[in-house]
Amino acid sequence: MTSPGLVPGGRHGRRPPVPWRPVLRLLLVLSAVLLLPWLAPPARAQRDDAAPQPGPALAAELAQPRIAVDTAFTGTDLLVFGATDRLIGPTGDNVVVLGLGAARDVLVRRRVKRLGIWVNGPSARFREVPSYYALVSTAPVAGLLDEPARRERRLGLELLTARLPGPRDPEFRRALIELKQGSEGWNEEESRVEVSGGRLFHARLPLPSTIATGDYMVQVMLVRAGRIIARQELSFRVDRVGATARIASVSRDHPLLYGLACIALAALAGWFGSVVFRRG
Amino acid sequence: MSVYLPIAEMSVDALLLLGIGLGVGWLSGLFGVGGGFLLTPLLILIGIPAPVAVASGANQTLGASVSGLIAQWRRGNVDPRMGVVLLVAGLAGSFAGTQLFVLLRRLGQVDLAVSLFYVVVLGTVGALMVRESLRAILRRRRLAPARTHQHSWLHGLPFKMRFRRSRLYISVIPPALVGFGIGILSAVMGVGGGFMLVPAMIYVLGMPTTTTIGTSLFQVTFVSANVTLLQALQTGSVDIVLTLLLLAGGVAGAQFGAAMGTRLRGEETRALLGLLVLSVALRLLWDLLETPGSLYFLGTAT
Repeated sequence: MTSPGLVPGGRHGRRPPVPWRPVLRLLLVLSAVLLLPWLAPPARAQRDDAAPQPGPALAAELAQPRIAVDTAFTGTDLLVFGATDRLIGPTGDNVVVLGLGAARDVLVRRRVKRLGIWVNGPSARFREVPSYYALVSTAPVAGLLDEPARRERRLGLELLTARLPGPRDPEFRRALIELKQGSEGWNEEESRVEVSGGRLFHARLPLPSTIATGDYMVQVMLVRAGRIIARQELSFRVDRVGATARIASVSRDHPLLYGLACIALAALAGWFGSVVFRRG
Repeated sequence: MSVYLPIAEMSVDALLLLGIGLGVGWLSGLFGVGGGFLLTPLLILIGIPAPVAVASGANQTLGASVSGLIAQWRRGNVDPRMGVVLLVAGLAGSFAGTQLFVLLRRLGQVDLAVSLFYVVVLGTVGALMVRESLRAILRRRRLAPARTHQHSWLHGLPFKMRFRRSRLYISVIPPALVGFGIGILSAVMGVGGGFMLVPAMIYVLGMPTTTTIGTSLFQVTFVSANVTLLQALQTGSVDIVLTLLLLAGGVAGAQFGAAMGTRLRGEETRALLGLLVLSVALRLLWDLLETPGSLYFLGTAT
């Protein structure tokens, strides 16, 4: 009764009660079962791709839709979990998880030596650079999808930077990847999506302590026979909470008050120190 | 023990910050310098974003100088009259310096200009201090009578003023020029300017070392309060959590430093400060000459 093929038939069942109702229901069930192979593809056509079986091919969820950044925050892992309709494994389906942060402009500069000293040389501005990037999958993505598919979905830092608007110089693009990886903002395939029971999967996206506040997106993709057959987009938010949030908001909304408070607190701390240590 | 800094948006080891605060505060109390020229590079080194490091460094300098100032005031080492003259000229100078900074930025290569400024100013000041103080130490060893300050053309200037605490009767023009010049330098270099002020007061104005330290702390306190307020208003990058952690170590260090400073002779204090300033200059020079680990770095896109 959970099959989507039954939904149109359900309307007939709500008619005023008639004596032949059980018979009609049986007929409806039978016809639905028989028609299902033909009915299912149009019903699923609104989704990303057609699935040959009823029920969602992929269902994924985030453990925390909101990451709270408080005074004790030292970075965390975001747990992405879900299930597939077929077995995951080297011979079966594969799961790819991609986490993306808000796009920002980034300037990469090169140091050059002039008259014996190092000075700031040429720079390259990249636009729409994701502030955060994390890619994990059940198997190396390069072996799962061909390059056009990976390029379209931004699966891989090389492909991501290659399609960023900005100068073509490959040196600067490589430097951008290295610098972003060094600051833990970007990582690719540093861990694997773990599978249990053949159909349940979970992945951990590392969120560094320097993660920016704002909205983030997680895409979970199901890959079958070299194609992405289902895709689910989830989102989470990184927010400051408690004292951290209050300090940040006062600093932003009342800068004069905040500046005066900083002066008063620092002077008070200095005075307090001199009182305490005079006794000592 | 890690703590998340709300403005810097990162988590750092609280004990590391306490340690840095203690060390810089100790130097601050000992030499009467704010320690900004040490603190800001150290904070950047542990990964704090540069604007937050500069702004919070100024705020920490304020707290540490208040602590040192109270300690010095009790010992009668502050010349308030000299302090006010230097301060008024210094605030005017820092306003002019901010304009110069904007001009340098428009010309590009502001990082290089600041680095070269540091190397030249710190190197010259440090070398002169070390040379002079070593001579003074050697002279005392030979039991030669120390000369009091020499009379020069500076003493022929008008608007004479009596600075009783410093035992000086000089024109108000040299201290005003010193304050103004250091105001310009401190705005361009993003520091309080104590490390330049102390030698300038000793060698240009002829003040005794004891009152220079207290008076310099007086000036640094107000300059750093001004910088803190301007940074909070213009860049919003003062991190009060970072400041208070640095101060927790800093106020203790400043008291130890001030107590130790009274046991040292003036020329010994000067020699040590000179060596410190010189080593920072050499370190910055090394950074300019050494091949960097990475030729690329991320800049801020405006």
